[in-house]
Amino acid sequence: MSLLFSSALATTSTSFAADKKPASINVFVIPSPSADAIKKLAPAWTAKTGIKVNFTSVEYGTAHQKELLSIQTGKGEQDVVQFDNTFLAAFATAKALTPLDAYTSASKEYDMTDFTPSLQQYGDFGGKKYGLMLSTEPFIQWYRSDIYKSLNLKPAKTWDEYKANADAIQKSGRASGQLMGYGPNTTWWWMQMVWSFGGALYDSNFKPTVNTPQAIAATKFYKDLLSSAPKGALGVNGDDVTSQFVSTNIGQILQYAGYASGVFDPKMSKNAANIATAPAPAGKVNAIELAGWNIGIPSDSKNKSWAWNFLEYMLGKSNAANFLNAGAAAIGRTSITTNKALLAKNPYLALLSLPANATVYTYPSLVTWPEFDKVSEDGLANILSGKVSVESGLKKLNDALKVVLAKEPKH
Amino acid sequence: MANVGKSRKAPIAFILPSFVLLIPIFLLPLGLGIYLSLHDKSLGFPQPITFVGLTNYHSDVVNTNFYSAVKVTAEFMAVAIFIQIPIGVLLATLLHSTKKFVSFFRSSLLIPMLLTPVAVALMWRFMFSSELGIINWLLKSLAILQPDWLGNVRAAFFAIAIVDSWQSIPFVILITLAGLASMPLAPQEAAIVDGATAIQRFRFVTLPLLKPVLLVILLIRIIDSFKLFDIIFILTRGGPGTATQTLSMLDYNTAFTFLATSRAAAIGVVLAAMSLPLYLLWKKIISVSA
Repeated sequence: MSLLFSSALATTSTSFAADKKPASINVFVIPSPSADAIKKLAPAWTAKTGIKVNFTSVEYGTAHQKELLSIQTGKGEQDVVQFDNTFLAAFATAKALTPLDAYTSASKEYDMTDFTPSLQQYGDFGGKKYGLMLSTEPFIQWYRSDIYKSLNLKPAKTWDEYKANADAIQKSGRASGQLMGYGPNTTWWWMQMVWSFGGALYDSNFKPTVNTPQAIAATKFYKDLLSSAPKGALGVNGDDVTSQFVSTNIGQILQYAGYASGVFDPKMSKNAANIATAPAPAGKVNAIELAGWNIGIPSDSKNKSWAWNFLEYMLGKSNAANFLNAGAAAIGRTSITTNKALLAKNPYLALLSLPANATVYTYPSLVTWPEFDKVSEDGLANILSGKVSVESGLKKLNDALKVVLAKEPKH
Repeated sequence: MANVGKSRKAPIAFILPSFVLLIPIFLLPLGLGIYLSLHDKSLGFPQPITFVGLTNYHSDVVNTNFYSAVKVTAEFMAVAIFIQIPIGVLLATLLHSTKKFVSFFRSSLLIPMLLTPVAVALMWRFMFSSELGIINWLLKSLAILQPDWLGNVRAAFFAIAIVDSWQSIPFVILITLAGLASMPLAPQEAAIVDGATAIQRFRFVTLPLLKPVLLVILLIRIIDSFKLFDIIFILTRGGPGTATQTLSMLDYNTAFTFLATSRAAAIGVVLAAMSLPLYLLWKKIISVSA
């Protein structure tokens, strides 16, 4: 029986000095559509290999701390871990993850060439790959096609057009012009603005640069957009942007592509039939903010080759359509973003193939990113509420970020 | 002599099990917390742990963020002491005096207490929504100004205070009702015979007799407001900015978001020290009850 499984594996997987076949592997997931899809498809892998998959599911708030603690005990409790890309630097610096380059480069089934160059590096830190892309979530524009049609609007290609569309919708009284997350998670949008306006969050010496003329212009524009946002926008978090867009009248939003499954599901979205997508508007720089889950193998796993086999099966090219159809947020493989049948059903998939002329920005590779993010949110709250001016607020924020970045280890 | 030796050993033998329990669940974590707070352990930094003295206290306790969190925590504590307890006691007294529908109200009052704070906060978060929420819809129907409940600094504080009160006042009512029910009737009857008004009876008879119960309520509400976390986490995550960030939220962010174990330990140690005066209140309760 064991031989039968081994030969079945040989047809699909990379051959490595395999670990002794375990009775089970342990997979640590964070509740999300991608985690649900993995759970849904795991029995098929078990049927193929005879290895049981045990899941540990921990909510986002404490998941990364628990993962790091578990790995640092060195007991090999987990074989596969899902993590947010924002924690990649911390995990890699803490040597908590196994470099995957040898696996990915040798795997025809995973096939790195199926990703565009800008996506191939997602999950890399310090020149090594520590996480596979579990979801491809660039910021994209979502708009109400019915409202656009009635007002004869076209999806914006620039930020000025985006604002003009928002103002036109607001003025028409049909809906609120636009919404971004101005409360918790406000940095998601603010970063995109800063990058689009040609600014940066910090320089190569890890000195913050959030009070440069570009960052000031970007923040002013971001704040100006509040005039066309619905009431209560200052308390809106990342998830709220989507939930309000699908259940109330808002003309357009900018949001990560990973929300597509909920947005286009009529059971969850009142406006599902009237929502269309377009690329994010460009500023001085055609900046695209790219986010998404990562998944990797802990450095203390005792079943690394089987963990890789699991990942290769789950996220490999052959299973990509199944994975999407199982409800996962899409992974931007070229074979997926150009698949006509899938595109007919999910037109937004084309936007996951990021254009070559775009500058792709991922979350900053900082060990101190979570603190940088929180300090920025706190500072921006004062600016957006009008408690302080944009200029003085950003100066104060820049000073606060100096303290945070001073803790950043050299890398 | 042998008997004297035995009598000395006996109390120690009785106390020993308590210490066996206290060491792993209290003293060991406290000791480890103090140790960590004096070192530079961080889950995100793979460096050997080194002694840094009071650096973590200086960077994370002596700063505006910490002071702001102390202020917010104190404000929520004030709401618990000066608003929730008086309202709860007043309602309990009214319920006790009417005698009508008491069992119905007692059962109804249990409902908010039985719900988990996270579920309660999620429900209220939806109700506070400016676009979708029933609260602003009602205020609009009544032509009353609709605040941006979760986006405005003051409104966010009130939103949390409302939710916390909704869940906590029933607790105050139930405990007070139990206290009132067990109160001897003779002093009340004597006051009636002496011609005392209802307010005088409440002020000079009921309240003094309720003192032990009220002190217990006070202690529990102070502890609860000191560790208030889940409602804030769901409703505002401490925002806007740091407007509703309590000490517990600050400690959580430092430990679980920034992965800064030692810095979080320093905040935790100070938190523990700040809770020490509660011991005096506990001693007061013991003496009053005795």
